[in-house]
Amino acid sequence: MKTQIIEQSLLKEKIYWRRVEPGLKVFVLPKKGYNKKYATYSANFGSINSRFIVEGENEELQVPDGVAHFLEHKLFEDEEGNAFDRFAVLGASSNAFTNFTNTAYLFSTTENFYRCLDLLLDFVQTPYFTDESVEREKGIIGQEIRMYEDNPQWRLFFNLLGALYQYHPVKIDIAGTIESINQINKEILYKCYRTFYHPSNMAVFVVGDVDVERVLDQVEANIQNRNYRPLGEIKRLFPTEPPEIAKEYVEQSLAVSQPLLNIGFKEQDLGYDGPLLLRREIATDMMLDIVFGSSSKLYNELYEEGLIDDEFDTGYVAEKDFGHSVIGGETSDPDKLFERLVEGIKQAQLDGISAAAFEHQRRKAMGEFLKSFNSLEFIANNFPAYYFKKINFFDYLQVLHEVTLDEVNQRLQDHLALDRMARSVIWPKTR
Amino acid sequence: MANFQRRRLDNGINVFIHPTDKFKTILVQLIFHRRLHKEEVTQSALLPSILQRGSKNYPTRQKLSSALEELYGTELMSEVIKKGERQLISYSMELVHDQYLPGENQLLRKGLEIFKDLLTNPLLEGNAFRADYVKQEKEQHERVIKGIINDKIAYSVERCLQEMCQAEPFSIFKYGTVEQLAQETPKSLYDFYRRFMQETPADLHVIGDLDVEKTFALIEKLFNYQRGEDLAVPDTQVDIQPREVRYVKEEMDVNQGKLVLGYRTGLSYGDEDYFALLMYNGILGSFPHSKLFQNVREKASLAYYAYSRLEKHKGLMVISSGIESDNYERTLEIIHRQVQAMKEGDFSQEDLDNTRSGLRNQFLVEEDNPYAIINRTLDGMLVGQVWETDELLQRLNAVTRDDIVRVAENIKLDTVYFLTGIGGV
Repeated sequence: MKTQIIEQSLLKEKIYWRRVEPGLKVFVLPKKGYNKKYATYSANFGSINSRFIVEGENEELQVPDGVAHFLEHKLFEDEEGNAFDRFAVLGASSNAFTNFTNTAYLFSTTENFYRCLDLLLDFVQTPYFTDESVEREKGIIGQEIRMYEDNPQWRLFFNLLGALYQYHPVKIDIAGTIESINQINKEILYKCYRTFYHPSNMAVFVVGDVDVERVLDQVEANIQNRNYRPLGEIKRLFPTEPPEIAKEYVEQSLAVSQPLLNIGFKEQDLGYDGPLLLRREIATDMMLDIVFGSSSKLYNELYEEGLIDDEFDTGYVAEKDFGHSVIGGETSDPDKLFERLVEGIKQAQLDGISAAAFEHQRRKAMGEFLKSFNSLEFIANNFPAYYFKKINFFDYLQVLHEVTLDEVNQRLQDHLALDRMARSVIWPKTR
Repeated sequence: MANFQRRRLDNGINVFIHPTDKFKTILVQLIFHRRLHKEEVTQSALLPSILQRGSKNYPTRQKLSSALEELYGTELMSEVIKKGERQLISYSMELVHDQYLPGENQLLRKGLEIFKDLLTNPLLEGNAFRADYVKQEKEQHERVIKGIINDKIAYSVERCLQEMCQAEPFSIFKYGTVEQLAQETPKSLYDFYRRFMQETPADLHVIGDLDVEKTFALIEKLFNYQRGEDLAVPDTQVDIQPREVRYVKEEMDVNQGKLVLGYRTGLSYGDEDYFALLMYNGILGSFPHSKLFQNVREKASLAYYAYSRLEKHKGLMVISSGIESDNYERTLEIIHRQVQAMKEGDFSQEDLDNTRSGLRNQFLVEEDNPYAIINRTLDGMLVGQVWETDELLQRLNAVTRDDIVRVAENIKLDTVYFLTGIGGV
């Protein structure tokens, strides 16, 4: 296939891409003058994909929680050893991460880039699991889970998701639990691999001072040598999630210096991806920042009342089948803060967002997006994740320009629905 | 690395301009250098929060945030940093370069004007800071000090170093103490601020696609405020011999135990053998191919993380790992064996090569990050020697196996700290 170009004139960046049979998308963003070259190889497979129909079978399979993350750990191993070590020999550093919807393998290097690229493609395409190594990994991931049990922000967040969602697997910790990972074996890993690690369910993203055509040709050659058959449809199964939240309130005690509060809103406007989803994401993010951001009246009142600190923050997640916002941080008084946030939301809904606040926010969001393009990691981690949602991440500035005040005001009314709100609190453990 | 231009304002502030067209932004960082001193550290750490509450031209936090955001989401961040026995108070502002913003050409000037106002034109009530701002920021700062326990990994490392260096200034917590904080008043803090601005040596870095002369002229216009003589910062004490190894155990209601070992290396950033120490630390514990990751995690399956890192200005090395409390003895034994192996020169050519390549990679990628470029310059200035990447690589390449073993012999365990669940081992 001929190389295609995506251009963003304001950013002064271009992405070159090609579709490689049987369906892998390869993207290259040249960054002149950078020493670092960074590549990701991602699969559209994350922690929420725990129920599906295995490629080539008819039976529905329910896998233990934490499989996608477990597979991410184990894929580094092969018959001769460990991909980590082979990247080290080439002077590169490698890593991987799993989130709700994707798994990404990556390396960063200043030398031997083309050899590293083949190594990345090779190790991700060569699963090798043994009973013994799967068992050993349980100890390591077990300690990863234990570490997160002591992380107050992490617990606060997952407790909140547990309150927002009744059945959807987004409520479950990405790494699973000690009990669930103990049920994982090599057969389960192979089944997941076979279903989700097909080139047509994956994407490669390369950024750095590289030769574009050489990268594209090399990936194409690597994939085509392997004689993949086309993949049938991947059937991802999800429980029916009702619009109602699971419970209004959840709390836990941990060894912390002061309480933490998160409130969350469950998205109702679901079922689509692509440009419309990006547009909803941008409008919602703008709304949250206007209402709760550091130049808002509410934020400054709460700050002066000593109820929040400057880490107080908002976030919004927009996926095709689920979505939620999270608002909060550490606080001296989570009950009082909760009360004040609810009042603030009601007031904001009465007042609406002004044209001036909206234009101000647009400038801010534009600047923040431009700034983040200093980071090769930001680009290479985000672009594929949006690609899997059928969104061209480079459209961000254009969509930001198109979003209207009415849409943002509509999000304020629709998304911040108090009957779809849950609350999570972490209390200090008293000894 | 893009060469920087070093100048000096008449008032004594050092100005470093790093022209490069690599980035979409211009980063400005102003760094004040203070000795790490018990009586002053709390005040210095608190000052930025008070100044950021408002200046005469931007009298509230909301007005200030709003003015900065109007400049395409610019933020002014302050940070307290400890490098050796030196407390750094840093303010940084990162702006989008106007070439990406059609119709804009004065963004840097506008940003710096706000920056300058905040720093030199504070909001006052008579001869003191505003009382309500001070009261609120004291409360916030108290939470910052107490909040150290919330991140158990950072807390355990801090505690180990505190125990280890209890007789040295290095043990002073960079944010200060609640006791000292309680004594501060709007007047005492304002008096301290005036002294701080007079006497504290400062470096101002600007990095981005810049014209050196124009940038310097702009900085001179805005930051050449009246100052006095620089108050010198004493050297950090590096050469300290540990006595018997100390064992400290602390209980907290945690799920995972945190094991932290503190070592004295006797070497700091300016030393001839520093690069051998870097290689030592790399082979032992700063990479996934290192001994600690391989033996504690991959082979024994005891931990998710197990690493070593250097405090390069104080000459310390810390090993840190999160484990089940029951595995304390076993983990400690494996760690001791790795450190012993280093002393015996028990590492392969491959370990050496991989570590050298990994470190080379780290030096090179620093050039891709404006914060890292400034930090390297800063580290260099502290030892009177700023190395270009080429020189760093040459020094790294010159390190031999014998150098590493020689360095290993002088690395001495000082303190073993263990944070464990209540009623644990």
